Amino acid sequence: MKKITRRRLLKRGAVAAAAATLPLSLVEISWGKGNAQNFTFAYISDSHLTHIKGTKFVRNFDKGLKKAVMECNFMSPKPDFVVYGGDLAQLGKKEELEHGLEIMSKLRHPVRWVIGEHDFYLDMGRFWEDKISKTTYSFDHKRVHFVVLNSILTYDSWIKRWKTPEERMANMARLDNPNGSPFMVGDRQIKWLKKDLARVSKDTPIVVMSHSPLYKIFKPWNFWTDDAEKVQAVLKPFNKVTVLHGHVHQILYNQIGNITFQAMMSTAWPWPYPLSYIKKPNQIPKITVFMNRADPFHERDATGWSILNLENGRVTNHYKLWENRDRILRYDEKLGYPVDTLYQNPANRIPPQEHY
Amino acid sequence: MKKMVAAMTLAVALSILGAFAVQADEFTKKDLEKWNKEFISVVKEGERLFHSALGKNKVSCDMCHPNGANTHPETYPKFQKQIGKVVALRDMINWCIQNPLEGDPLKLDDPKMIALEAYITYERKGKPLDPGKH
Amino acid sequence: MRNRLIPVVILVLVLMPLWLSTSVLAGKTRALGLPPVPIPSDNPQNAAKIALGMKLFMDKRFSADSTVSCATCHDPKRAFTDGLPIAEGIKKKKGTRNSPTVINAAYYTSQFWDGRAPSLEEQAKGPFVNPVEHGLKDFSPILQVIKRDPKYSSLFKKAFGIDADRIGIEHVVKAIASFERTIVSGDSPFDRYMYGGEKGAMSEAAIRGLKLYRTKARCQDCHPIGQTSAIFTDNKFHNLGVGFSVIEPRLMEIVAKVKKAKEKGLKLDETILQKQDISELGRFVVTLNIEDIGRFKTPTLRNVAVTGPYMHDGSVETLEDVIELYNQGGEDNPMLDSGIRPLELTEQEKADLVEFLKALTSPEYAGLLKDKK
Repeated sequence: MKKITRRRLLKRGAVAAAAATLPLSLVEISWGKGNAQNFTFAYISDSHLTHIKGTKFVRNFDKGLKKAVMECNFMSPKPDFVVYGGDLAQLGKKEELEHGLEIMSKLRHPVRWVIGEHDFYLDMGRFWEDKISKTTYSFDHKRVHFVVLNSILTYDSWIKRWKTPEERMANMARLDNPNGSPFMVGDRQIKWLKKDLARVSKDTPIVVMSHSPLYKIFKPWNFWTDDAEKVQAVLKPFNKVTVLHGHVHQILYNQIGNITFQAMMSTAWPWPYPLSYIKKPNQIPKITVFMNRADPFHERDATGWSILNLENGRVTNHYKLWENRDRILRYDEKLGYPVDTLYQNPANRIPPQEHY
Repeated sequence: MKKMVAAMTLAVALSILGAFAVQADEFTKKDLEKWNKEFISVVKEGERLFHSALGKNKVSCDMCHPNGANTHPETYPKFQKQIGKVVALRDMINWCIQNPLEGDPLKLDDPKMIALEAYITYERKGKPLDPGKH
Repeated sequence: MRNRLIPVVILVLVLMPLWLSTSVLAGKTRALGLPPVPIPSDNPQNAAKIALGMKLFMDKRFSADSTVSCATCHDPKRAFTDGLPIAEGIKKKKGTRNSPTVINAAYYTSQFWDGRAPSLEEQAKGPFVNPVEHGLKDFSPILQVIKRDPKYSSLFKKAFGIDADRIGIEHVVKAIASFERTIVSGDSPFDRYMYGGEKGAMSEAAIRGLKLYRTKARCQDCHPIGQTSAIFTDNKFHNLGVGFSVIEPRLMEIVAKVKKAKEKGLKLDETILQKQDISELGRFVVTLNIEDIGRFKTPTLRNVAVTGPYMHDGSVETLEDVIELYNQGGEDNPMLDSGIRPLELTEQEKADLVEFLKALTSPEYAGLLKDKK
């Protein structure tokens, strides 16, 4: 029997070159007439790298993050920066975070980090703050004010319950945990946010990046931020506010007053929509058009990352959905909320979006 | 008169006997509670298995199916695209164990399989049957 | 009453042979395990058309040096393939791709490895005028031969009801397609086991192979077997990484080249078979969708054991090599289909899968199986 000869190692850089270089399948960059504030950035989130033993990690999840990094490297035009949306690790282990940092180090663009609960609860964010990033900060970019929050905090009483850090982490890691605890931003951060925004003018576009949604969707799975209303109240005076979040591993979008909410995909695996658990009521935003239901045979189905355009103070989200047609979310000024450019009209829906 | 006495004696005898005879379809509220407890114990075992790594990687069912969501047990048996024929829930459970969980399939009469099915269906209690739905 | 019945009886007697002949044709297309053959409404089957199609299929005069017919690369004696890794046309000119079999090609929703032809009719046009295949400059030599050959005139008349001066290339390819729609085969040991209820039709090893096919070996999703029939193709395009190393160092450059060329009206058919780097882009050349780079159509697995060598470039020699390719998780590349991953099959499992694949050979080609040892 003739053995297959191994091909030489692919020069991944060059190979992935075309993956995102040509604008053919990228979002149309609609540059506002003479408006220098428009720019592009990228969002990679929820990789959940899982350590098995020694140097072995779950292959499926490694592949997802690696693919996103490779494709992002060859974006054209280049993104101004890349946001990592949280949950780099699965159980907050040093091995997982280091493995994630190693993969992310291949990114050729600057990174802004948002912490997720899977990164936080083993050591209460120690490694993250020491080696990766602050968890609460803000920055200005091309006259847009960006805020990053640690929105996966929770009640002290719950944190103190557990005998070991591993037990605490495991209980936060399990999504459907009846012994779970809701996410929150906390009064201290809200105070900080008020102060931070005090120096920002009302017509400056604001983008808040957070792991939890900053609104309430489904408490049993912590698709939830307990003090969401308080945070929204602080953001209320501003004309154009967008919240970008992770955690839910699905396409979700909403408009509450002046705030647009957009969920980012996971590079690892999709989560079902909460209406799929009939025992508990849900508050899925009515305007969301669901992503296509995933086929578990294809490991990258319903996973991906996002290319984001800041246009006229709003975020246009081009979901790079692997194994699927990409989806584009654009803010409609007339309607006053974000719409899916292809499927928002119910007449355009297709069975995979409704067969949940 | 004799006939009436005889008839009455017979009736009394029969009713006494009847009081001691075991009625096969009679069960009490206590029985129901007991049997339900047995059932729930298996549901709990299923919940434990559902949230544990059943394969060789560390993936567990609940990672893609929190609370058993999106498993649609009420649609089985159905034509399962991934398997290419009409199958029961347990066949798909085995497919998932072998594929995303990279593990070995369970025997169809394994108590673990029954436990998993008990948990999955229990979380979906109340949903009308819809066999064949994709 | 009886008087009214007579014309009905006559009508039935007249129609019966017609119905029988078409049902015999249909019967041939309903071999065990196959769904009905899709027949387009603008090209219905009839016996004359099919006979004409076969004659055209075999005719070597439709090539620049009269040495090549469709049957050269799609040889009926070799399960409608040529047994070569890459097809060879006039003067042994090599293209870039392996000749797919005609058997059961009627079930594909697009033709060619990259699906650039939407039908059997359209596919038939390509090779005639491809410089490395039949090598004709245009279709006129074909039509000239036909018009000068009285046998053809009468067949075309019977098949299409047209006179010789009205024959065009459309008629030629319609007839060829009609013939190809009769080249369908089921009835393999697998079909008899699966759909015929013959539990002894497949060996124990092949039965184990079938089980693996649906589970650990992960074949089912792209090469589907159904509850009542099986065509073994999802009619989609997937990247296994075979041949990807040819384009990987210059991918950006090649992709840009194709995009520019297409804007200028690139002749897909010719270029694909002459430029290997463009050929390896696969489906991308047709759709210009980045996700389609390196993707090729899922071929049917029926008669796979006698239609090697395998893959779009014929680079994989034996069935054992094919299993090995899948077992290692294809050839890793960033566009690799996400259903492909290492399988960790044991040696026994690999052998069982090969036995199963051999069981997909239809009886009329089983003789070729023995030659493959």
